[in-house]
Amino acid sequence: MDWTPYGPHAALVRFADKAGNEAFAQAVAIRAALERNPPEGLLEFVPAYTTVLLEFSAREVPNLTDAMPDILEQLQMAATLTLPPAPVKEIPVIYDGPDLERVARAHDLTTAEVCRLHAEPIYKVHLLGFAPGFPYLNGLDARLHTPRLATPRTRVPAGSVAIGGGHTGIYTVDTPGGWNIIGHTPVKIFDPTRRSPDGGEEAMFLLKQGDRVKFVKSNGGNQ
Amino acid sequence: MSAHLLEVLDPGLGATFQDRGRVGWRRFGVPPGGAMDDHAASWANVLLDNPPDAPVVELLLQGARFLALHDCWIAVCGADAEASVPTWRAVRLRADDEVRFPHNRSGVWTYLAVEGGFDAPRLLGSASVYTRGRLGTPLVRGDILLNTPGAPFQLPAYVAGRSLAWEERRNYDATPLLRVWPGPQWSQFSEADRAAFLDQTWTVTPQSDRVGYRLSGQPLTPGRWQMISEPLRVGTVQVPDDGRPIVMMRDGPTVGGYPKLGVVDAHDVARLAQCRPGRGLKFRMAV
Repeated sequence: MDWTPYGPHAALVRFADKAGNEAFAQAVAIRAALERNPPEGLLEFVPAYTTVLLEFSAREVPNLTDAMPDILEQLQMAATLTLPPAPVKEIPVIYDGPDLERVARAHDLTTAEVCRLHAEPIYKVHLLGFAPGFPYLNGLDARLHTPRLATPRTRVPAGSVAIGGGHTGIYTVDTPGGWNIIGHTPVKIFDPTRRSPDGGEEAMFLLKQGDRVKFVKSNGGNQ
Repeated sequence: MSAHLLEVLDPGLGATFQDRGRVGWRRFGVPPGGAMDDHAASWANVLLDNPPDAPVVELLLQGARFLALHDCWIAVCGADAEASVPTWRAVRLRADDEVRFPHNRSGVWTYLAVEGGFDAPRLLGSASVYTRGRLGTPLVRGDILLNTPGAPFQLPAYVAGRSLAWEERRNYDATPLLRVWPGPQWSQFSEADRAAFLDQTWTVTPQSDRVGYRLSGQPLTPGRWQMISEPLRVGTVQVPDDGRPIVMMRDGPTVGGYPKLGVVDAHDVARLAQCRPGRGLKFRMAV
């Protein structure tokens, strides 16, 4: 584990050389440690595949170089902990996307085979990014890896289930996007009006980094 | 007391509530948001004795018009849009006065503050509107803007007015020299590319908005190393495959897959924000 300065009061901590199951487990453990026991003066942290960004208050942490060795040591310790896997969240998908047939043809598969292969694995939410609550899901069957569109669409509707390279994900808001849309879910992955019973705003986000997801093929009938 | 203070007659090219932005939600994919020029926005609040996190209205370029429904104090700071009221000072409006921003002359973003601060809904701890992420919506014609209940603003006794010292007002037509810190991949760019980045005058392109400012100039050599998405910050200078830097701004994505050459110093992001398309700018090392 090492770190690089990322501006005067921020550090990019690198905890793994390559993305994968090991890096995922470390990222989840580091995120849990930072939530439970944040270092003094930490304003914000952003976990990614192999790195985590730490942003500090300039007033509380005037000298990052002095503060980082202890913080790294704590994160190193946290990263060795194996947390119990998160429960699997099932998400219904109607496989009716405009790119479904093209994805099938590109891999010499039938559309039914694409749906089966896509709905089979248990995916891991490696990170949220691109848009509020947008999950980057790892675990896509190699037979479905599909390059992004050369020209992104100007509008992809929220709920679109799509494949981008070796990832699959769910668009959470209407946005321009270049992933191959194979279906859609009626579930709101991000809903700015959703609250937990105690009013907590975190409930806006259905999925969190570290969660596990299984897609369930649906015919679009009454859920 | 809270009152219906202003009516939006025309939002112009764009009008949103903004404040200092949201903290702690970037790991959920939510950008920080907040006023693009926090220098001008915070002065608008200071002139009216508002709390520092009071929401202001951020106007893009020109075209906005507001009608005062009651007597009230306002302050306008930031880009020069030929405002119909004096700028960079506390201004007393009378009911039925109209405030217009007809024509942009300098800078990009203009800020309108009202005594007590606008009463705007807060989501994830901030009133900053993030349109694409459905956190709040832009102002539209007919919207009625309220202020937050509080003691009415009053100039101290025997004081005739309150304005900002000239030296605090920025000239948005000057070529800014932006301080930049090394980014995580700084040392992986060649010495020639780092020199080319610092030596030349870059130009802001029209493809610039609250998400990012794209720069044109002599392209840098794009990174040939494989990159996996890493976290981005406000001010991060990414170098995509065409070699033309993009500086991430307040509504920018939280992660990105291009090499990160540098980070514009937090104090200079506001100066960059006020650079109109076509404006030249230069970088210098902050260290």
